[in-house]
Amino acid sequence: MTDIRHSLTESLRLEVRSEGLLAVCFDAMASPCEVLLPAQHRSDAIEIGSVVANEAWRVERKYSRYRKDSVVSVIHRSRGSRIVVDDETASLIDFAQHCFDISNGMFDITSGVLRAVWHFDQSDRLPEPSDIQRLLPLIGFQKLHWRRPVLMLPSDMELDFGGCGKEYAVDRAYGLLATRYAEPFLINFGGDLRANQAPPSDTWKIGIERPDTIREASMVLELEQGALATSGDSHRYLMRNGTRFGHILNPLTGWPVPAAPRSVTVAASSCTEAGLLSTLALLKGAEAEQFLGDSGVRYWVNR
Amino acid sequence: MQLKPGREVSSAALRQRLMAASCALLSATGVRAQASDASPPFNGLLENLSVDSAVAYYHEDGRIQAVEPIVNVAKTFANGDALDVNFTFDSLSGSSPNGALPSHSAQTFASPSGKVGHSYTTAPGQLPVDPNYEDDRVALSANWTTPVTRVTDVTVGAKVSGEDDFFSVTLSASLAHDFNDKNTTVSGGLYNEFDSLKPIGGAPAPGSDYALADKTGNRTKDGVGILLGVTQVMTRNWLSEFNLSVDRFHGYLNDPYKFTSILDASGATTGYQYESRPDQRLRKSAYWENRVAWDSLSTALSLRYMSDDWSVHSETAQLRVRWNLPGGQSYIEPTIRWYRQTAADFYMPWIVETEKLNSPYESSDSRLDAFHALTYGVKYAHKLGPLGPLASSEFNVRVEYYQQKYQNPSTNLADLQGLDLYPELKAVLVQFGWRY
Repeated sequence: MTDIRHSLTESLRLEVRSEGLLAVCFDAMASPCEVLLPAQHRSDAIEIGSVVANEAWRVERKYSRYRKDSVVSVIHRSRGSRIVVDDETASLIDFAQHCFDISNGMFDITSGVLRAVWHFDQSDRLPEPSDIQRLLPLIGFQKLHWRRPVLMLPSDMELDFGGCGKEYAVDRAYGLLATRYAEPFLINFGGDLRANQAPPSDTWKIGIERPDTIREASMVLELEQGALATSGDSHRYLMRNGTRFGHILNPLTGWPVPAAPRSVTVAASSCTEAGLLSTLALLKGAEAEQFLGDSGVRYWVNR
Repeated sequence: MQLKPGREVSSAALRQRLMAASCALLSATGVRAQASDASPPFNGLLENLSVDSAVAYYHEDGRIQAVEPIVNVAKTFANGDALDVNFTFDSLSGSSPNGALPSHSAQTFASPSGKVGHSYTTAPGQLPVDPNYEDDRVALSANWTTPVTRVTDVTVGAKVSGEDDFFSVTLSASLAHDFNDKNTTVSGGLYNEFDSLKPIGGAPAPGSDYALADKTGNRTKDGVGILLGVTQVMTRNWLSEFNLSVDRFHGYLNDPYKFTSILDASGATTGYQYESRPDQRLRKSAYWENRVAWDSLSTALSLRYMSDDWSVHSETAQLRVRWNLPGGQSYIEPTIRWYRQTAADFYMPWIVETEKLNSPYESSDSRLDAFHALTYGVKYAHKLGPLGPLASSEFNVRVEYYQQKYQNPSTNLADLQGLDLYPELKAVLVQFGWRY
């Protein structure tokens, strides 16, 4: 924690963007992150960047699967026994439970164990169906013992907040900044973003990555305020005999959702909500557009 | 919670629920943003331990005063069990009404011990009170709650309370069950209380003449009660709770230090007799509370109705408003409480010796009289920041003013004219608290 704080100013980069905008950039959660603000507020940039970056790093430290001192690691080490989790973690688990319930089990923070057999490296190496069958008993939120604040994770199961962590971090950073800063800003963590108000240049223009290219905006969305989140990764797939297997896995079968869009972008009032809607849309496969249309949200689907 | 195949949620409804869930997540974790940075996610012994302590000073105008320290310690264990321990110490001193009426002449009473020389005299026109009233009470209670399933809790508890002349043990057990996505909690419980009375000088025979001092050692009473409750989350910021309870007490239900003036036909006091209450009391009560929270305001409105087979019926209405001050560290909480009760059917402020009593029971205890009362109070609390030795603890101060008025018809008895027979009661409570 201390070393991150010390290197804070080195970890933040200022970039001048078009249309009179300035970006404070940093890396977190394996994504390029930035806060955009009108260039005339340059003097605020480092302070604003620090608030946002510190929150992003805090959420990452706390919920990363890869850090031994994260809450997730502590939970994993305590498998089979009941532990008391802190308030923030409890609220996240409550949220995950709601999402599990309303998606009839399609959104499940225990489905991460499937990573052990699925490697979406664009090859044709599909896992053995028997290996998938072996993992299915380890999936299912209803198998957890969860009575806030007490959690018991059964042996061999895993928790993964990756499905909502980045969006949650955006909303948290947004909340911290919005209470102390009244000028226009936009927080963008790897394509999940939220803005408080339109910049003087009229709207925030957001490039959404095109399915088959990297960092080349194919589609520019305009946003005044609110949140956008994108789910899907066009580079993570397997291809066998002409069939594409996207990386969106159905936790009930352990197999990729057939006919899932390559990416879905949703606009909503919070990034968490937008992210969940886009994830649920991907899980609907061929019915993604119908689902989004019925939800009454603004959305963009790439197939 | 269980997966129900075939139960399809419409997209629009799903979005509503998702919005609500997101809001709940983001608002629940909004506070103390950076505080969680400072502390590791799991701590040792102090984690999930809360301490609520207070010292209250209670003063009745011209009568009792009490100092009461209270400590409540609650801890949730990693396996989901929760322990709640409450310790109270009461030190009462001052003057307590003995039940006799004021009179135009001085009245002399023996102290309950009956020892020679232990007596007190009440001046003409004054309400007779025992000026040497003194009592220390120690009470300790503990409740243990354990989850038996994901949605069912069992609680068992015990309470002991002791004074010089009184000892009480209560055992209780209850079951709470959540359903409807934990939006509804239904609970049921039973309790059993055993009391033993060891009045100074012995327990007087009910209805016996004061001068005879017909006292017979120690007595007991016991009670059994049942409680049923429903708590319902109505909306995200509205919680409603409804409870019904019935209890039945049996045994020596008299106050051994209370007696009733006996008057002649003109109203002059000629003697006293100890009170005589029925040896059973069946009480039913209903309680309804609604708590509603807005941005910086939250309110709790509660209504209680109680009725017993002594014809005492009471109603209580209480409104509490908590106003969170800007900055989020302090709040002010004004309270107003209104109370009214009817008299017990055997309540009589005096006995006229020439009139035949139409009941074997009588008591002049003003707590069984008809009265109404108003309490006004305000509490101010300040919570310290997340750093420092007393981090995140709350200090609070509460002041309440209580005013009680009796409702009795006037009397024609000549000797009682010009006397304040039912003096109003006023009391002040000041409480200082610390909670962690």
